[in-house]
Amino acid sequence: MTEKSGTALSRRQLLTMIGVSAGATAMYQAMHSLGFAAESKFQGPIRLSAAPTGASVLVLGAGIAGLVAAYELRNAGYKVQVLEYNARAGGRNWTLRGGDRYTELGGETQECRFDPDLYINPGPWRLPYHHRGMLSYCKRLGVALEPFVQINYNAYLHGRKAFGGKPQRLRAVQADYDGHVAELLAKATRNHALDADVTAEDQAILLSSLRSSGALDSNYRFVKGADSSERRGFERDPGGGLSARPVFSEPIALSDLLRSGLWAALSFGALYDMQTTMFQPVGGMGQVGQAFARELAPLIRYNAKVVDIQQDQRGVSATFEDTGAGPSRQTVRADWCVCTIPLSILGQIPMNVGAPMAKAIAAVPYCTGLKVGLQFKRRFWEEDEQIYGGITYTDLPIGQISYPSSRFFADGKGVLLGAYIWDMRNSMDFTSMTPAERVAKAVEYGSQIHPQYAKEFDNGIAVAWHRVPSAMGCFGLWSDEARAAHYDNLCAFDGRIVLAGEHASYMPAWQEGAVTSALDAIDRLHERAVAGAAA
Amino acid sequence: MNKKRAAPAAAMLCSGIALVSIVLGGLLLEGPVRADIPGMFDSDLFVMTDGRQVYEHICRGCHMANAGGAVGAGRYPALAKNAALGSRQYMALTILMGRRNMPAFGAKYAVGFGGPPVTLNEAQIAAVINYVRTNFGNHYTDSITATEVGTLALGTH
Repeated sequence: MTEKSGTALSRRQLLTMIGVSAGATAMYQAMHSLGFAAESKFQGPIRLSAAPTGASVLVLGAGIAGLVAAYELRNAGYKVQVLEYNARAGGRNWTLRGGDRYTELGGETQECRFDPDLYINPGPWRLPYHHRGMLSYCKRLGVALEPFVQINYNAYLHGRKAFGGKPQRLRAVQADYDGHVAELLAKATRNHALDADVTAEDQAILLSSLRSSGALDSNYRFVKGADSSERRGFERDPGGGLSARPVFSEPIALSDLLRSGLWAALSFGALYDMQTTMFQPVGGMGQVGQAFARELAPLIRYNAKVVDIQQDQRGVSATFEDTGAGPSRQTVRADWCVCTIPLSILGQIPMNVGAPMAKAIAAVPYCTGLKVGLQFKRRFWEEDEQIYGGITYTDLPIGQISYPSSRFFADGKGVLLGAYIWDMRNSMDFTSMTPAERVAKAVEYGSQIHPQYAKEFDNGIAVAWHRVPSAMGCFGLWSDEARAAHYDNLCAFDGRIVLAGEHASYMPAWQEGAVTSALDAIDRLHERAVAGAAA
Repeated sequence: MNKKRAAPAAAMLCSGIALVSIVLGGLLLEGPVRADIPGMFDSDLFVMTDGRQVYEHICRGCHMANAGGAVGAGRYPALAKNAALGSRQYMALTILMGRRNMPAFGAKYAVGFGGPPVTLNEAQIAAVINYVRTNFGNHYTDSITATEVGTLALGTH
């Protein structure tokens, strides 16, 4: 700590002090209250000095965390070996496309029958603009990015009990909510209900701002007319020639809007993690894992199921089975180990670490997420409903329908994300179905929003994350109590082993959590390796 | 111990429906997921009291239709030919408190994500234990009552 007395500490210096003296959890709490929490910790490409001569690292797992660790450590001169359970790199960074076969736990095999160039990302699928680590690796590895449409005003909000189950355009719900609230606030202001809180001068400004924000008319009313239709859309759009005259649309009445509950979905696009601009890799999220794999090809051993991890004073040994070759075991060894195996699996692998890390590994259940991809004979959402990308939210068990953010206006078939279920009740239930039942249910529910489903459905594929053999869960589900008790112990070195992955981050499920966790881990590893070599 | 909740940071990243379920709560989240169980999601608790239904809508996701479990990079234990089932109390505590990546279903321990956690009441836990211990080739003659599950739940802190 080098702060000078008499100089006000910057908030970041203060946070660092809290971190050093009180631990990462306290620092996070402070960060949270100061509004720093959601920021990626990525500070630009890591610059490790040269590795000590001959130093070696074993990386367990070739998901994003393992790949980042392997890539950077190799670049610094470490001798790196990576063991990966799957026959591919990427882990949960994964794209399913036509011709792919996927066998889930329980033995059911699905063959993806999508047309060429169509795909779904069963895991992560979007990159916020502030996830600088992921974006940086995409750039460095030559992974092309394109916009991911998160917010589409022409997509729907749907509630089974709302408006007789008829989906409403986000545009209309947003405009009507904003308009009605602005009108009420304007009324309160003009009735002097806010005199105690707002000066007369500010009230005049407030009223102007409410007219602007809520599309109120000159009498501060939100009513059918030009002002409101320019937000919520027209009954008949303005045009040219003799049919030019627009027909204004009727706003939803305030009470109907409130009782519909649809307002609950209005804030999604305003979340820091969901704000525009978001990105996706061209050709699927799995491009990132594949790009790392090309870069690290000779270092990755695929089909390697880790069954034992043991460390001693000089290094770490990992024993694995080749899943293609039967139960014969091999052991590899290195000076250090970066272990990125999901806790859902790591907790079952014998590993001689101390009680604090072992308890932390056992303390985190996994979320039960699930996705269903559906191929249709045509892009009816574009052709019939003018929906280009974005997401429809629903209270049906499918949770949402997402429209592809690429290949707009393409002829031929199209693929929707037909279900993306976070709600644990529904996702447990869907996980308990067979893959074919999940697809059938997604079609059945989705047809309540898009009646075209019945005629246009072609085929589908369903991935329930608790059934994925390499993950056995979607992401680490930290409670506040578990985090307070175990998070620091999970991230701290135990001898020569350090853990990394989204589970070792405050950005659960996000790939950026895996990236920043890996960088943090290898930074500490490097420090130890260099110090050890100098000793 | 207080009822656990997922960290706010976790809730922030969810993609939508979980937030819908927080805010809409009882307003919209209702209706059966399968026609055979009316009102399955009408409340925070599953309303199923039949052990087989609980198994088929929750447990089967990991322990599989034949209770044979599964092996991948890790494994889900079989509930058939598993000596641990000899202790009905062990089963009850595992369901109440969770075990590693198996979520807890007891109200005191269950963790939600965005929305409410999945919880089972004492009667449901007793029912599913008795179902599993008398099916899938299991023939245990003792059974557990909701009261006994409740007593075990109190014994946890």
